[in-house]
Amino acid sequence: MPLSEPRSWPHLLTRAMSLAAVATVLSACSASGLSQPAPPHGDARNTAAPGEVLNGGGTPVKGGTLKISMAADPLCLDPHSISSDTEQILGHLQFDNLTFLNADGSPGPWLATSWTISPDGRTYVFTLKKGVTFADGTPFNAQAVVANFAHMLDPNTRSPLAGPYIAPYASSTVIDDYTLQVNLKSAYSPFLNVLAQGWLGMESPKAIQESTPAQLCAHPVGSGPFTLTSYTPNVGASYARRADYDWGPPALGQTGAADLDGVDLSWIGQDPVRYNSLISGQYQLTGYLPPQNAAAVQANSQFVFEDVNRIGWPFTFDFNTSRAPLDDIKVRKAIVEGVDVNAIVQTSQFGQRGVARSYLDSVTEFYDPSVQLPAYNVQDANALLDGAGWASRNAAGFRTKNGQELDLKLPVSNATTVSPVYDLLQAQLKTLGVNLQVEVQPQTQVTTRRYAGDYDLLSGVWHTNTPDVLSIKYASSQIPNSAHLGQNLARLSDPTLDRVLQRSRETTDRTELASLYSQAQKQLVSDVPGLPVYQNTVLWAFDKKLHNVIVNTSHGTPLLTYAWLVP
Amino acid sequence: MRAKLLAERIGWRMIAGVGVLWGAATAAFFTLHGTAGDAALSTVAGQGADPTQAVLDQVRRDYGLDLPLWRQYVDYLGQLLHGDLGESYQQRLPVAQAIEAQLGQTVQLAAGAIVIALVLAVGVGVLTAKRRRWVRATTTGVELLLASTPTFVIGLVLLIVFSIGLHLFPVSGQDGLRSLVLPTFTLALPVTAILSQVLRSELEDVLEQPFILTARARGMRDVAVRFRHALRHAAIQLVTMSGYIIGGLLGGTVITESLFNRQGIGQLMLVATTNKDIPLVVGVVIFCALVYVVVNLVVDILYTVIDPRVVTR
Repeated sequence: MPLSEPRSWPHLLTRAMSLAAVATVLSACSASGLSQPAPPHGDARNTAAPGEVLNGGGTPVKGGTLKISMAADPLCLDPHSISSDTEQILGHLQFDNLTFLNADGSPGPWLATSWTISPDGRTYVFTLKKGVTFADGTPFNAQAVVANFAHMLDPNTRSPLAGPYIAPYASSTVIDDYTLQVNLKSAYSPFLNVLAQGWLGMESPKAIQESTPAQLCAHPVGSGPFTLTSYTPNVGASYARRADYDWGPPALGQTGAADLDGVDLSWIGQDPVRYNSLISGQYQLTGYLPPQNAAAVQANSQFVFEDVNRIGWPFTFDFNTSRAPLDDIKVRKAIVEGVDVNAIVQTSQFGQRGVARSYLDSVTEFYDPSVQLPAYNVQDANALLDGAGWASRNAAGFRTKNGQELDLKLPVSNATTVSPVYDLLQAQLKTLGVNLQVEVQPQTQVTTRRYAGDYDLLSGVWHTNTPDVLSIKYASSQIPNSAHLGQNLARLSDPTLDRVLQRSRETTDRTELASLYSQAQKQLVSDVPGLPVYQNTVLWAFDKKLHNVIVNTSHGTPLLTYAWLVP
Repeated sequence: MRAKLLAERIGWRMIAGVGVLWGAATAAFFTLHGTAGDAALSTVAGQGADPTQAVLDQVRRDYGLDLPLWRQYVDYLGQLLHGDLGESYQQRLPVAQAIEAQLGQTVQLAAGAIVIALVLAVGVGVLTAKRRRWVRATTTGVELLLASTPTFVIGLVLLIVFSIGLHLFPVSGQDGLRSLVLPTFTLALPVTAILSQVLRSELEDVLEQPFILTARARGMRDVAVRFRHALRHAAIQLVTMSGYIIGGLLGGTVITESLFNRQGIGQLMLVATTNKDIPLVVGVVIFCALVYVVVNLVVDILYTVIDPRVVTR
C-alpha cells in the first residue's frame, strides 16, 4: 500500500506549492514551535507497541462526538476499491474483518472465530461468528463472505489492494451458513494476515449488489461499531454509533457497543492548518500529523503523540536493475555505501523516523536485525565506482565511462509536496560523482514510466501487515511488463530469492517461516536492489480528553472502537 | 428593421458559439490524449495501488481506450451530439452529474467575488479619478501590485493575516458565510484591481466632457457628478470587460478552491487534470466555453440596449 505521506489526488501542483509556502512562512513566524531536532535513530525512539492501549484506565464516559482530521479525501469510502491509507482508520470504524492480528503479528480471530488449513495450504475452512448484522440489517454469514471476495476480485471494482491481496483465491464452498470453505489456486500463507487489513473489511452483500461503484463509494455499508451517516467529498464524513454492536475483535478484551455517540471527520489538506486546528482544540485527533510539528506536539502535555513503526517495506529508492548503469551491482553497492543515510534521515524527518538498513521495516514479523546493509564508507564507494569503470570525471565533476556521464534519472510526482529527501540524496551523490536528475512530472507520467521501466531510481514505501511484502516487491513474477502489472520496480530477477519467497508462501510453520524470511533478507542485502532510507512510520496525535485509543496491530494507526471522550 | 438586424446578429453569434464549443472540445480532447501518460494506468494504478492486469484491461475496454484515437474522437463527438459528456474515469459518474454537483459552490464563490469586485472597483475608480497626484499614485500602485500578484499568494497573505493571525475567519472548509469571506476576496481582489484601473482612465476622459461642465455649472456636488453622470458613461467599458472578468474568475477558482479546501468546479478540474480523467476535463472545458459563449452573447445584446448605434453591422 501507499505512501505514508499525506498524498492525494485532490491536491495539486498549485496546492503543493502554496502549502510549501505556507509551511515556510509559518515556520518563520513561529520558529519556537519547531524546536530542536529530537535525537534520531529508529530503535532508540519511543514508539507504541502494536495493540497497546493509550491513555487507558479510568471509567469510560458514554456519549460525545469525536472530531478527527485527516489529510486527503480518497473520494471514495468503499475499502475494496481504494488504496488510500485513510482506510487504516476508517476501515475499522465502519467495517469488521474476518481476522485481527495479534500483538505478535500472527493472525487471530474476529468475524472468523476459528479455521483449519489443509496440509497443502490451499484449503481454508472458516467458522464464522453468529448473530452479526450489517448496518442495513443484512445478516453476516458464509454467503456474505463469498459476496465480499467476489466483489474484491471483480475487475469492475477496480480494486487496487483488497483484490490483489487475495489474488490466489479460486472459489468458495458454503458448507453451512456459518462454515465456509475457501479454495486457493496456490498455497498462500499470508492469507489470514491480509484478511485483517482495513481494505479487506466485510461489506453488506445487499449494498454491494444494489449499488453502482459510485454509489458504493459514497455510501458503503459495514457491520462495524459505527455507521456512515453522511459524506461530503473533500469536506468530511460523519459516523454514528451502532447501539447493537457486540462483535469487536476478541483481542481487544472488551465487548459491547462503542462509548462514543459518533465520529466527525474533516479532510484538511494543509499541514499547518491540520496542526493548528488540533492544538486549538477544534479536533481531538489527527490521523496525519505533519513531521515538522511532531516535536511541538510531543512537548505539549495536553496531547498523546504517537509515531508508530509500520509493518512492510521501508521508504526506499528502488534501483532499476534491468538497465545500465544500475544493472551493475558494483554501482548499486557504491550508492548504498557512499550515501550517508543517517544525515538524510536526520535532516528530512525532523528526528521522527529511524534509519532503515535492510529491506524490511523493523516491526515486521520475522524481521532479522542481524541482516544489515554495509555501513557508510565513502572510500569503499569511490573504489567500487572506479572498479566499475567510472573512473574518469568530466568538467562538471561527474564520473564518466566511454564518454558517457554517470546519470541516474528519478521521476517524481508533482502531485504532492516534493520531499526534501530527493535534494539531499542528489547533493550526496554529487560528491560521489553521480549525477542524480530529479524529474518532477505529473503523476500520470510518473505512473506510466513506472510500469514501462523508464527510470533508474524510484521512491516509495509499501505498507502491508505481513513480511510477504518481500514477494510483492521482489519476486520476479512481480516485474511489470505488457502482460501483467506488479510492484517489483527494482525489476530484480533472482531465482534463489524466488525459491525462498515461494516456499514462504507454502508453509505456515513459524520456525520455518522465520528461517525463510531471514534467508530472503540476506539474499536481498547481497542483491542490493535499492537504497532503504527510513523506517515507515505513521504520526498521529490526540487530545488527552480522548481515552482508550488502541494501536492497530495491522497498521499502527489509532483504533477507536472503544475510545471514549471526556466532555 | 432594428429587431431583424438584432435577431440576425444573435443568430450568427449562436452559430459561432457552437463552433467555439466544438473547437474547445476538440482541442481539449486531443491535447489530453496527446500529453504523456497512459490514462488507463493513471486511473487504476497510481502510487500505492497494485491492481491486476484484468482491472487494467477492463478499464481500457470500458472507455474505449484500446481503440485508435480517431475512432475515440468520432465516438466522443457522437456522444456529445446526444448531449452526453461521458463518464468520469475516476468518479465513475456521468460527467454532467459530477459538474452539477460542484456547480453551486463555485457559483456562490464567483457571484460573491463579482459583487465585491464591482463595488470596490466602482467605489475606488469613481473616488480617485482626477484627484491629486499622490492619491492616484497610491491607488495605482496598490492596483498594480494586486493585479500582478498570483492569486495563491493573495490567498496565502489573507490566510496568514486574517485567519492564522487574527483568527477572524476559518482557514478552510465551507461552513457558512464566514468561510466564504477569504476565498471570495482572494478571487475578487485581482479582478477589482484591473477593473478600477480601467474605470478610472475611462472616467478621467468622461470628466473632461462638456456635459460634465454643464452639470457642475448647475451647481451639482462633485460626488453626485461622478456617480450620477460620469459613471454611467464609463460603465460601458465594464460591460466590455465581462469576458475578462469571467475568465479571471474561472481561472481563479481552481487556485482559490484548492487553497481553501472548498468543493467546486475548480477543485474538480484540478483533480481531473492530475489523474488524466479525460472525459471530466473535456467536460469542464466545454462547460467553461459555454459560459464564455453565453456571457459574450449577453454582452452583445446589452450593447445594443446601452448604445443603439452598435447594431449597424
